[in-house]
Amino acid sequence: MVITGNATAAYGAMLCRPDVATSYPITPMSEVAEQLSAFRANGLMETEMVEVEGENSAMNVVAGASMAGGRTFTATSSWGLSFMYDAVQHAAGFRAPIVMVIANREAPGILAVSGGQQDIISVRDAGWIQIIVEEGQEILDTIIMAYRLAEDYDIQLPVMVNYDGFYLSYMATAIEIPEQTDVDHFLATLKEQPKRQVLEPGVALGCGTHGIEKGFVELRYRQCVAMERAAAKLDEIDREFGELFGRSYGGQIEEYRIDDADIVVVASGGVAGTAKVAVDTKREQGIKVGLIKLRLFRPFPRQRLVEALNGKKAIGVIDRSVGFGWDCGPMAMELRALTPEIGIVPILSYIDGLANLDITIPHIERAIDEVQSAALGKSYQEVTWIPLEE
Amino acid sequence: MTKQKKKPKIYDYFKETEDPYAGGVAWCPGCTLELTARFVPKVLGNDIILVGCPCCAAPVLYGQNLGTWHRLSYFSSLMTGVASSATGISRYYRKIGRDATVVCFTGDGCSADVGFQPLSGAAERNERIIYITYDNEGYMNTGYQRSSTTPMGASTSTTPAGTISHGKPTPAKNVPLLMAMQGAAYAATATLSHLDDFARKLTKARQKIKEGFVYIHVFSPCVMGWRIEADMSIQVCRMAVRTNYFPLWEAENGRFRLTHEVSSPKPVQEYLRLIRKFSHLKETEINEFQQMVDRKYAVIKRLCVTE
Repeated sequence: MVITGNATAAYGAMLCRPDVATSYPITPMSEVAEQLSAFRANGLMETEMVEVEGENSAMNVVAGASMAGGRTFTATSSWGLSFMYDAVQHAAGFRAPIVMVIANREAPGILAVSGGQQDIISVRDAGWIQIIVEEGQEILDTIIMAYRLAEDYDIQLPVMVNYDGFYLSYMATAIEIPEQTDVDHFLATLKEQPKRQVLEPGVALGCGTHGIEKGFVELRYRQCVAMERAAAKLDEIDREFGELFGRSYGGQIEEYRIDDADIVVVASGGVAGTAKVAVDTKREQGIKVGLIKLRLFRPFPRQRLVEALNGKKAIGVIDRSVGFGWDCGPMAMELRALTPEIGIVPILSYIDGLANLDITIPHIERAIDEVQSAALGKSYQEVTWIPLEE
Repeated sequence: MTKQKKKPKIYDYFKETEDPYAGGVAWCPGCTLELTARFVPKVLGNDIILVGCPCCAAPVLYGQNLGTWHRLSYFSSLMTGVASSATGISRYYRKIGRDATVVCFTGDGCSADVGFQPLSGAAERNERIIYITYDNEGYMNTGYQRSSTTPMGASTSTTPAGTISHGKPTPAKNVPLLMAMQGAAYAATATLSHLDDFARKLTKARQKIKEGFVYIHVFSPCVMGWRIEADMSIQVCRMAVRTNYFPLWEAENGRFRLTHEVSSPKPVQEYLRLIRKFSHLKETEINEFQQMVDRKYAVIKRLCVTE
């Protein structure tokens, strides 16, 4: 089936049979809501669809439904995510296993109806697992995996599945829609686990009670520990998905031509596809470069990255967002935090692809050349805003 | 409706349903919210799901860490998410075919101000939830700041009466009327001095959520914020009804009816003088207040011609 990224997300959600889904339109995600409503209107899906009056309610409705015991789905983008920010944090505190897709877009501050990853960064410490995907099929497959991860008894955390707004959201590609019975089978594992605690009429349960002093600290600690567990769990789920469906994505990170590489480019989302082409070209020119596609952003795939980056001579990080206060991209900043484990190597931060600007093959090739030069001990510029240099 | 027949029924509620609160739990002395929070489950039962938010009720309803001070099922939302969280719970139960009563219970700051959008949205979608506002006319939990249900002329910590200020300059937002106008299956006002009326409305609410959205607005004086004596709160409720400051009415699918018509209403001054947040008002301001009460009452009265 040749469908857009947004439609693919809707198919992914439908296959997981959510009990309650909410929608509020925002560019470039609106088609997800339309497609789900169409499924519902034609009896393909038994989900209770709530067409809310704003994103804040979109999140609160699914939080309530989730804590009552339901499987839930919602979708948003950019300032839709900003408008639900209190509820986003609250839902994570509830440990509500919501799955939300985000068609990434620049976040408020400067008006931009265009793509970027600033919305991902704006919620990185909200307590949600954040996965970033590269292409259409990966959207669908990751949504299915996201339910396995969110609802796992050892995790019980909400998951955001991120894909590039405007690029992936509107681009139609050939998508293989899995059989419903296979998806049911894959998700049935969850039924064998202990039941998570949910609201019950007539049963004393304070959902979202007031954490006081050490009680608060304990709840926060448990939330953090569950988040840490999610990293290895995603690898496990990704492997199992591969066995059943014949497609897997590397779990926390995808490693491309890494083993014998001297230098590495780190990227996430659709640009990873472009980067693979640039890596191939540079390999032909004799530069031993590899790519790491960052799939998991929260929890940060620290261990997997350390293993993959150990011994590499220089790293280039491409960010489609900005970070205030560190004079580098947010993902570059996080990579720098691995220094105690991977040693002091040049880490070059590239800011590119803001506001729908293309990250082209020449952009990445140029970055690879500079990273290679830094690996050879030459001086380098720590941060480069590529669009400003053209 | 004859009062003589209804009154014993009130006592029955207290006999029949076990009090869900832990012994010794108390709000402020004389608090009308406490009596409302205790009375609602008496009529609706202890198997309701309560959805609330940070407000005067929260310190008791929340519980702390793993402890709780009641045996009700309670979902604590944020002030922006009460009606929407309740929507989610109610929709999930509808999906799985479970019969459960979801009751929102918040102060006016949530329903009239920061939570008004989701409230209005839930009403428009005709969600099967009961929304109860206990209206203490301001943010009484955070220190008596004004809200949009604070009446004109009231001195609050953010509209203090001073040398050039006469308290809040604008009249209150009439949330129950707005909910009725949005086409709620059932919207009503109630207060504790007329408990039989309140009980009947709660009973009706339970039936009407089968059709759609239900809203009940409960007038709830605050001893601390309004600066009244602790033993005066029910008297203040009664005087609010007798002066037509807070008329008791209901609207079923847009059909309005006064449930307790006051034959010869007292001047509102008799209500105002009980409450120290109005003590700075001069005669001209009291006259303006009377006109405001008359105008508001006239609107309700006219709407009641639909009967």
